[in-house]
Amino acid sequence: MSKGFQVAAGATLIALLLGWYAATNLEEGASFAYYQTLEEFVGSPDASSGHHARVHGYVSIGSIERDVAARSVRFAVQNQPPHAGGSATGTLPVLLASLETPDMFKEGAEVVIEGRLSQDPAGARFHADKVFAKCPSKFEGQAAGAPSDLPAKNS
Amino acid sequence: MSEIGAVALRLALLLALAGFGAGIYAGRSRREDWTRVAERSVGVVFALVTCAIATLFWCFANHDYQLVYVSAHSARSMPLHYRLAALWGGQAGSLLLWLWMLSAYSAAAVWAHRGRVRRLAPWVCAALLANAIFFLVILVGISDPFEKLPPGHVASDGAGLNPLLQHPVMMIHPLMLYTGLTGFSIPFAFAFAALATGELGTTWFRTTRRWTLFPWMFLSIGIMLGGRWAYEVLGWGGYWAWDPVENASFMPWLPATAYLHSVMIQEKRDMLKAWNLLLIGLTYTLCLFGTFLTRSGVVQSVHSFAQTPLFTSVFLGYVLVTAGVFLGALWYRRAGIRSENQLESMVSREASFLLNNWVFIAILVMIFTGTLWPVFTEAVLGNRQAVGAPWFNMFAKLLAPVLLLLTGVGPLIAWRRASLANLRRQFVWPVACGLLTALGLAIAFRGGITFYAYVAWSLSAFVIGTITQEYVRAVRARTRKGGENSLQALAALLRKNQQRYGGYIVHLGVVFILIGITGAVLNEERLENVKPGGSFSIGDKRLDYLTARALPAQHYGGAVARLALYRGDEPLAVMAPEKRMYWLEQQPASIPSVYSTLHEDLYVILTAIEHDGSATFKVYRNPLVNWIWIGGVVFVLGTLAVMWPHPERR
Repeated sequence: MSKGFQVAAGATLIALLLGWYAATNLEEGASFAYYQTLEEFVGSPDASSGHHARVHGYVSIGSIERDVAARSVRFAVQNQPPHAGGSATGTLPVLLASLETPDMFKEGAEVVIEGRLSQDPAGARFHADKVFAKCPSKFEGQAAGAPSDLPAKNS
Repeated sequence: MSEIGAVALRLALLLALAGFGAGIYAGRSRREDWTRVAERSVGVVFALVTCAIATLFWCFANHDYQLVYVSAHSARSMPLHYRLAALWGGQAGSLLLWLWMLSAYSAAAVWAHRGRVRRLAPWVCAALLANAIFFLVILVGISDPFEKLPPGHVASDGAGLNPLLQHPVMMIHPLMLYTGLTGFSIPFAFAFAALATGELGTTWFRTTRRWTLFPWMFLSIGIMLGGRWAYEVLGWGGYWAWDPVENASFMPWLPATAYLHSVMIQEKRDMLKAWNLLLIGLTYTLCLFGTFLTRSGVVQSVHSFAQTPLFTSVFLGYVLVTAGVFLGALWYRRAGIRSENQLESMVSREASFLLNNWVFIAILVMIFTGTLWPVFTEAVLGNRQAVGAPWFNMFAKLLAPVLLLLTGVGPLIAWRRASLANLRRQFVWPVACGLLTALGLAIAFRGGITFYAYVAWSLSAFVIGTITQEYVRAVRARTRKGGENSLQALAALLRKNQQRYGGYIVHLGVVFILIGITGAVLNEERLENVKPGGSFSIGDKRLDYLTARALPAQHYGGAVARLALYRGDEPLAVMAPEKRMYWLEQQPASIPSVYSTLHEDLYVILTAIEHDGSATFKVYRNPLVNWIWIGGVVFVLGTLAVMWPHPERR
């Protein structure tokens, strides 16, 4: 066996082992995250079946209600940024079962919500486990708060 | 005034082109006079770029809002030191800083080796100037820091700097990082010169030993300061999130560290010539690639700047050409870099160093894949998927203990081939150290911590045992000979064999850092909503929420909450987390308050002041996190011990 062959075989073996390790340790959806726009989500099977999903949208103006007693935040997301003159039709009500909201979370903010859609007595509502927010791109070198604030975009 | 800078950059480009030509010609013709032309061009380019960057600093200091760059990254309300630091707050300025550091290193290296290494010199100059040319082309043609706003659009005030960047650490973190990244241009240029001339002996890496250690140290400091900044400013309780830009700074560190180890094998055993050259090429390419990643917006990140297709293609092209030319040269000289010696045994220090190299490269591959996953998936599947922290943590968890083990094992095994007696003599105490620690942990925690923490901390104890044994034996050997007390012997060790004994200190720092990182398995986080007068406890501590009041108006406003921290009845501190709003930038920021001890950090964030007068706090208990910073200091001291110049060793 030549030396090159030995090295190649060793590297392949290590790569296979690491690949196997990755495959057995990664939960579906936990690591390979991407998100849908609100428009895509509404018509998708994820919405009707109540599957775990990540949805991108904008917080509707005047929709944020912090309920301290119930330890939750209610708000609505819409497809278009409210400042851009987009209509507020087709908003999705969201319930976040925590008072923990990111710095950039405010009316009009671009957000990604993570959770599942379920049918409440009052109608369909998105139960979010997590909210990521991004500030409007004003600066060339703009930061988005915590490094993990906004996952990469599903374009 | 700004015209001076613009002109200086254009002149520098001309000079760099001329010097590059002179270097190539001198290298091919071996003419000393043309070598000197190339060397002088390096100096003049440095002077011109210095002039340009000084001009830009001047424009920031004096509010020259005619300049697009100055008006976009600073404002009158910012204090002078942040206005100056705003120079590296955006793309054009940070590239200018890159270029300035590159040219400063180039000039320093050429000056330090004047009259020596005559065959390598012209090629070193050519390689360094080629890099300068690229940055000059970008700065003159694509991303011009001296571009002016059209008349009529000039405002009396600027847009301000991202408030998160207005922090003392942010003034030095980029400088440290860039001092690291740009510095690898010197070993790279020497390696390239070695390939170009065929002088593939030990000259190139002996000449560049300190030129490699120096940027390596600064890169390490930069990475750690970045973590420190994230911890103090971003307000999410952590210091490392596997964000693309963090990865970008970490990636070149890996092959550089691998190189620092494997070059010792070349020194001792004349093996791995090609591998070492490859590692240096890889390191510098990754330095460029990291800069590209953070300055292009290819991967979304906290730091990424506006994406312009021209910038992307030119910069990526440059990275690929650099790598391609280097690999081409390596291929061309493949006959000259065959190793004379073979690995004799798998139980030898060479083998443990080789394994260490493989682990570093595996970590690199893992980070590279994860960071660029969105780019790969977009290209192949058409939609962008990102991998999150779990991906990176999963591999780091697997590979870090392996590395830790090798840190302990490497110094204990003999070169060439270790005998059984050698192994027995060397391993007894360190292994006992590790086992005792494992036992102690088991008793102390009674299964309260994960298996992973047991392994990591026991291995840490094993490595500390190794290092202590090495020191104790060496000191004892010297004192036994007489004439020296223990302290003198210690000092003599660090002076006479600084690479080895300084290296152990670096290892000790790394062990501390890993102990601190592993502390995360004991982390605890809570979200608490309390009214003034209310209290809550976390761990053995209690927090009384006293009041909240408005922050005195500056260029930001907001609220600060006051909490009294107790352990039992013993008052410890008053904590004051802030929720800020930066008016001009319309950006909120949470400034955490941290109570820090060797044992643990208590980290409090004011999430919100609610309508009913209560306040919502996010509280983290981060055990051992301080050991990361302590380890960082030890690491740097160790590196200094390795590099410290001693007159008798020149």
